[in-house]
Amino acid sequence: MPRPRRIGGLFAVCSLLVVAGVDAQVLPQETVSLIGGRLTLGGEVTATVAPDDDGQFNTTDYDRSALQLLRFGVTASFRPVERLAFVTELRAEGDTGGGPWTALPFAAYVRVRPWKDRNFDIQAGRIPPVFGAAGRRIYATDNVLIGYPLAWQYLTVLRTDAVPANAEELIRARDTGAARWYSVGSPSYAAGVPLATAFRYDTGVEVRIGGEQQRLSWASALTAGTISSPGARSENGGPQFSTRLATRPVTGMIVGVSFADGQFFSDDVATSTYRTPYAAADPYAMPAAATTDGRYHQTSWGVDAEYSIGHFLARAELVTARWRLPIVGPESIREPLTSAGLAVEGRYRVWPGITLGARIDRLGFGKIDSVYGRQAWDAPVTRFEGGVAWAATRNLIVRSSVQYDTRTRGGVRSATLPALQATLWF
Amino acid sequence: MTSSRTASAVALAAGVMLAVPGTGPAQTRGVTIRGRVELPRAAPNSERRPSAGDLGDGPARDVPERRRAVVYFETAPRGAFEDREGGRASMDQRHETFVPHLLAITVGTTVDFPNNDRTYHNVFSLSKPRRFDLGRYAAGRSKSVRFDRPGIVRVFCDIHSHMNAFILVFTHRFYSVADTDGRYQIDHVPPGTYTLVAWVEGAIRETRSVQVTPESRGVEIDFPTR
Repeated sequence: MPRPRRIGGLFAVCSLLVVAGVDAQVLPQETVSLIGGRLTLGGEVTATVAPDDDGQFNTTDYDRSALQLLRFGVTASFRPVERLAFVTELRAEGDTGGGPWTALPFAAYVRVRPWKDRNFDIQAGRIPPVFGAAGRRIYATDNVLIGYPLAWQYLTVLRTDAVPANAEELIRARDTGAARWYSVGSPSYAAGVPLATAFRYDTGVEVRIGGEQQRLSWASALTAGTISSPGARSENGGPQFSTRLATRPVTGMIVGVSFADGQFFSDDVATSTYRTPYAAADPYAMPAAATTDGRYHQTSWGVDAEYSIGHFLARAELVTARWRLPIVGPESIREPLTSAGLAVEGRYRVWPGITLGARIDRLGFGKIDSVYGRQAWDAPVTRFEGGVAWAATRNLIVRSSVQYDTRTRGGVRSATLPALQATLWF
Repeated sequence: MTSSRTASAVALAAGVMLAVPGTGPAQTRGVTIRGRVELPRAAPNSERRPSAGDLGDGPARDVPERRRAVVYFETAPRGAFEDREGGRASMDQRHETFVPHLLAITVGTTVDFPNNDRTYHNVFSLSKPRRFDLGRYAAGRSKSVRFDRPGIVRVFCDIHSHMNAFILVFTHRFYSVADTDGRYQIDHVPPGTYTLVAWVEGAIRETRSVQVTPESRGVEIDFPTR
């Protein structure tokens, strides 16, 4: 990391600490509300500093490291009448490592509750994912650790706008660093997608039956993108269906089962098939939309569980994904590409305001046939992260963690990454 | 607000050091000081903090009306500390609200925190007079905390960020939590000159000097809104 950037990151964290130390007592302890409670506001400022992650273990789909995140977020809920609310979260995100800033409406949706006394809600717009659990957590205030679960953050070699012409091309991509190029589809270099993303919401409509305090709850959504590549509009003409059934058998325990299925590859892949040098030279090239079963979907299953009692909380989440690639030639990959990520974490409050936490995480990939033999289509990754969170005041949380990542392929095969983060929220 | 809170905490603690002697026959019987604290028009907010990650509305809540003010002696009569008893008090958790929102106790009191919701709560405080974290516990269970130091203790739930409450810990018994209309009453006050403090929702609103003589039958002190 260039020294000025590192100093800048430390300065950002220290500034937050100083500001919080001075102003912690004047930060609102209750929800900020205006217009007689119809408009409520919440906010968060997060600064994270860490050494450069040369192995791209923590790179997110916004091309910045989750361990160098700078974030300003404001959440607002406007409820003009009792059963109608407009909810939005505006975020500006940067990088203490010096990356570009983005500002966007992370969430923007309308919520309708048709019957006042029934736990039945409809939300439409840019909505939170119903799949899994980690994607909906307000991470800065609901986690001891700084890093994200691999399934929700780690970028695989798979892209939505380009596909490898054969298995060898895909397997070689494991060693090419963060940006990949494939011979079919978009000719640019770009990073792949995670199994599911915790950094973007999708656009669509969802319904939920049952509430937080009920034994069973069920939610389903139709969205434009997929859990790994949400979008403001569909880029392939196919919506995604996702659903989750959650049960609370005893107080403190939540178990959820999720499913999602949607068109994964964009229309760019289909329309550009014959423009790429490889496919143009192939007399047997076929329309990209054709697959062995006529679909090029991402199909995912998830199981999540949480149990807490006293000062202890444990969480586990399994996310699996199965992709069907478009058939672009006689050498096209006809086997589905599979992957699974499992994260298990626990935290324990040892003293008022001081919490210890740890997570072990594994992301694995299925094997495919190639001239190199039967090999995993991407490099499996293992992550261990341990850390401590200190609530200096109620509104200021300081975290320190150390993350150890390993993977079987790539230029950088292991990394030890300490990180420091300060979050001020109201 | 920082200075107000600090001053308030100091005032709560100062009672021990600034005790003034009581004299005359009224000392045993005492006089009643009563009056009204004019409360701010805007009711305290009890809305949930907005979260974009919710899949729907939270459960309906029936939020009880809150008590918001305490009137207390900045200095207490000598002997006020001798009858100090570590009693018991309760701060309930129901409908994702602490009930009462404002609790005034004397040093040595043990406060019970029963959970009467269908979900977990995690009561905690990071206030200097008493730091504690009760962990998560379910409906029907209760945990307790003893308060041995005077001051203002802000109480929160680690799971429901909109839940908050105040516990004011006094070294003497000369205080009164005003009702929802702002009316208060402090009984059995021996003769003497005292400083009366009106504290409203986390800040000292006003202080007034009051003189109680052996001939006093009752003293009326109001605290208008500033």
